[in-house]
Amino acid sequence: MLSKEEVMHVAHLARIEIDEEELEKYQRDLKILFDEIDKIKDLDDFDEDRMFSPCENAFDLDRRNVEVDKDNLLLNVPKKKGNFIEVPVMINE
Amino acid sequence: MSNYINLSIKEIHVLLKEKKITPIDLVNECIKKIESSDLNAFITLDKEGALKQAEELSKMEVSDDLLFGIPIAIKDNIMVNGLRCTCASRMLDNFTAIYDAGCIDLIKKHGMIIIGKTNMDEFAMGSTSETSYYGAPKNPWNKDKVTGGSSGGSAASVSAGLVPMALGSDTGGSIRQPSSFTGIVGMKPTYGRVSRYGLVAFASSLDQIGPMTRNVYENALLLNAISKLDRRDMTSFDTNEDFTRKIDKPLENFKVAIPNYFVSDIVDSEVKNKILEIKKLLEDNNVKVDFIDIKHIDKTVTLYQIIAMGEASSNLARFDGVRYGFSYPNPTSLDDLYSKTRKFGFGNEVKRRIMVGSYLLSGENAKTYYNKALEIRDDLQKNFLKVFDNYNLIIGPTTARCAYDLGDKGDDPLKSFMDDVLVMHANMGGFPSLSMPVGFNSEHLPIGLQIIGNLRDEATIYGLASFIEKNIKEDFSEVRNGL
Amino acid sequence: MDYKITVGIEVHCELKTKEKIFSPSLSCYGSMANTNINVIDLGYPGTLPLLNKEVLEYAIRACKVLNLNITHDMHFDRKNYFYADNPKNFQITQNETPIGRDGYVEIDVDGVKKKIEILEMHIEEDTSKSVHGEKSSLLDFNRAGVPLIEIVTKPCINSSVEAVKYLEKLRELLLYANVSDCKIEEGSMRCEPNVSISKTEKFGTKVEVKNIGSISNVGEAIEYEVARQKEILEKGEVLKEQTRRFDDKTKTTILMRVKETGNDYRYFPEPDIPFVHLTDEFIEKSLHDLPRMPDDRRNDYEKAGILPINIEKIIANKALSDYLERFLDINLVIASNLLLGDISAYLNKNNISISDTKLTDDKFRDLVNKLDKKEISNKIFKDILNDIMETDKNINTILDDKGLNLINDDSLIDTLIDKVLSDNSDIVNQYKSGNERSAKALMGLLMKEGKGKINPSSANQKLMEKLNS
Repeated sequence: MLSKEEVMHVAHLARIEIDEEELEKYQRDLKILFDEIDKIKDLDDFDEDRMFSPCENAFDLDRRNVEVDKDNLLLNVPKKKGNFIEVPVMINE
Repeated sequence: MSNYINLSIKEIHVLLKEKKITPIDLVNECIKKIESSDLNAFITLDKEGALKQAEELSKMEVSDDLLFGIPIAIKDNIMVNGLRCTCASRMLDNFTAIYDAGCIDLIKKHGMIIIGKTNMDEFAMGSTSETSYYGAPKNPWNKDKVTGGSSGGSAASVSAGLVPMALGSDTGGSIRQPSSFTGIVGMKPTYGRVSRYGLVAFASSLDQIGPMTRNVYENALLLNAISKLDRRDMTSFDTNEDFTRKIDKPLENFKVAIPNYFVSDIVDSEVKNKILEIKKLLEDNNVKVDFIDIKHIDKTVTLYQIIAMGEASSNLARFDGVRYGFSYPNPTSLDDLYSKTRKFGFGNEVKRRIMVGSYLLSGENAKTYYNKALEIRDDLQKNFLKVFDNYNLIIGPTTARCAYDLGDKGDDPLKSFMDDVLVMHANMGGFPSLSMPVGFNSEHLPIGLQIIGNLRDEATIYGLASFIEKNIKEDFSEVRNGL
Repeated sequence: MDYKITVGIEVHCELKTKEKIFSPSLSCYGSMANTNINVIDLGYPGTLPLLNKEVLEYAIRACKVLNLNITHDMHFDRKNYFYADNPKNFQITQNETPIGRDGYVEIDVDGVKKKIEILEMHIEEDTSKSVHGEKSSLLDFNRAGVPLIEIVTKPCINSSVEAVKYLEKLRELLLYANVSDCKIEEGSMRCEPNVSISKTEKFGTKVEVKNIGSISNVGEAIEYEVARQKEILEKGEVLKEQTRRFDDKTKTTILMRVKETGNDYRYFPEPDIPFVHLTDEFIEKSLHDLPRMPDDRRNDYEKAGILPINIEKIIANKALSDYLERFLDINLVIASNLLLGDISAYLNKNNISISDTKLTDDKFRDLVNKLDKKEISNKIFKDILNDIMETDKNINTILDDKGLNLINDDSLIDTLIDKVLSDNSDIVNQYKSGNERSAKALMGLLMKEGKGKINPSSANQKLMEKLNS
């Protein structure tokens, strides 16, 4: 079972605030899921040399003359200042 | 109330062509049916936009395109410019799409009319559509039952005849499983067949948009319309083919495989028996059907969970209250903005999967879990490809059991995955896979047959599906006609 | 025993491709905030990265000039971390398969050559720019998605001088490979040294310094760090692994943060970009128009006899050196003198560049050759400079129009010499009685008689023959 500290670490990585009650629920849920997921550790009869990639080579596609939408970009912005997007002050730059 | 919508697309086309009806009649009928329905199938109904487009189309010459003037419903995780796109989440409750998805460009080019956006599991995570912020849609066959999910609203709206066609998305069965639960035809095409530009990503390497329709022919027709090379998606490809071309053609030297796992104890006996009936039907028509084993097929769901949740945790990181969507008011710091926006913006199932996904990728776990899953995934694809060296198609049930009661699933984290157990192989290998109704269980709920094809070989799937459709006696339109 | 200094340096350079790395927005960010962006740059839901192949070409060129082995089979990875300047809250970078590995840059410290080893170079996307106020920060995503290469050395730099030499050389190579503008002041090149000192074979505690605004400041930052760390160690205190920021005003480093134990970036292969296989053909094509590197050019200049001080002046001005590349077959001393002297003075005065003038390649070539063969004198060149730069006329026409064609006719020169000698017999006598300077006076009179139009070298030769006969 994940320790409370581990769950808190994951919650911080995911930037999801959780309270004490949720913390215990996640400890339980994650345990159930990981008992299942950990089964992958027993799998060893497979070919290790290649990771799956949905398509063969990025070179097959050429993006020249691609047009990507750029209208109304700031329409959904929660907080704006002029043309800038505003957030609480950033530290740790 | 008029009942043009229940006619086939071909019949509607003739009426349009002969000017007996106009697209406005079709839109009005859809709107009336949707507004009087209690299925909770739609999140957003675009009455004004649909009518405006119908009026414009009514002034135009009806083209030879069978889809011209046909109303369609779109799952609410696909961008339609100017319409709300919520992904059934509080996070995007006030989010307006500012662009059209690649497939929506094509839908519009064909002169189809977008009626609205359909209900779904929040961010497509779930298999009952119950995780929707707007409440679960109901199964038209029995309103106490789930529609399945995540494309539950699209499935319910086609099944009940609110619209003739819909688009869904399928990451681990999200088109096929609700299609099976509601007795319609749903196709998850080959990965890359339909552009993902404008589809809100759940798990990038598994997601695929596909058509949900009342019958096989119309499904192929809609796939024809939405599959085209899109340079805005690097995984997009095009083969320029007509997916209806094998429909109603004889099945010559046809060989079909049924994986033993697909008829093992995990499958409900009523469902299993139906599949065996189909086997007999095929054999009676000179199709060779073999039971086979596929390596790793019984372990794929674990690999699928790892990949889907790992990718989801990263894909959903962008919902942070900064550039769009829900934003927690008056945060005390940037981190406070993030963690409270995500605490209150996401529902429990989404948060749980993000948590698991984050843990799966943290520290050394990425190598132990995600990278290893990708390696086995490569093997799994090869194992399926080997089957297609000898067989035209693989068949089996879409789901282990029929639609179950709303609320049945509860909060059990594992149950959420049990519905994926037969369908996610196609997503893992990138293979096309279709679900079609083939019968009913004792509760008179539809049973779905799944047909998996080789990469890029949707046409053969449609060929077999149309044959089966023609040769079974059950009628799946009663729920539409009863309305 | 003194402390051994160990420095490793991470350098980020913006590639000057036309478009961004994963979106077709233009790759420049001077314009008004949030105008040079599209749905991809803002990390909109439903958008996907679209790899710009030009970025691969630029990175391949950088690999070549930094002697890096190119990774043929590579992929991109997601680096997951939340920050407001990171639109998707993950950055697309290369973690497992950097495009370049195991290279070096050779530097020269007081005549001693040293190879600074490069561990790896990878490709990634830039973040957005932010302006910080007291309570809020403002974000401009124009820079988000500009392509970057990150070049990481091994911890093999042992002094601030080596660090500065390495960075100067690196900058020169990337500049000459047309890969990056490498403007540190504008942020298109960012240098982050990590410094440690130790008396043993084991490395000391690493301190990373960010926010350095020039190459010379990197040297100063390292000097300061070494002194600071020595002081702490001498006091018997323990150094903490940390990130510091260089302060240009005080020339000191200031603590930003003490390193958290292990950043958890949750790297995994980017699923939206298929794995990349770089073919030999593509690599060859990318290197096809790679310009000659500065050391090759220095060699040529040296062989041609250009003064070392002028060689460095030319190399420091890439546009000038690129211009000279077209004239390697003519007298480079004359050509470079012209370019560094009168021509650059003319250009500076008028605030223009060569391409704004009427100086065609043919004209420049003709001019240098005429000066080389002494068909025109320096004086005449100065007289006709404006005509050369401002008219379409070729040199001969300009000379003809001005009546300035040099007299090369031997018999005419003979006649003129005879006249000067007979008119100035007193000076001739002074010369003959040993005053050698008198020859110069006679030469001056001869040129005056010829109205500056006679070929001075052949005239001088003939004059001396006559005087000494």
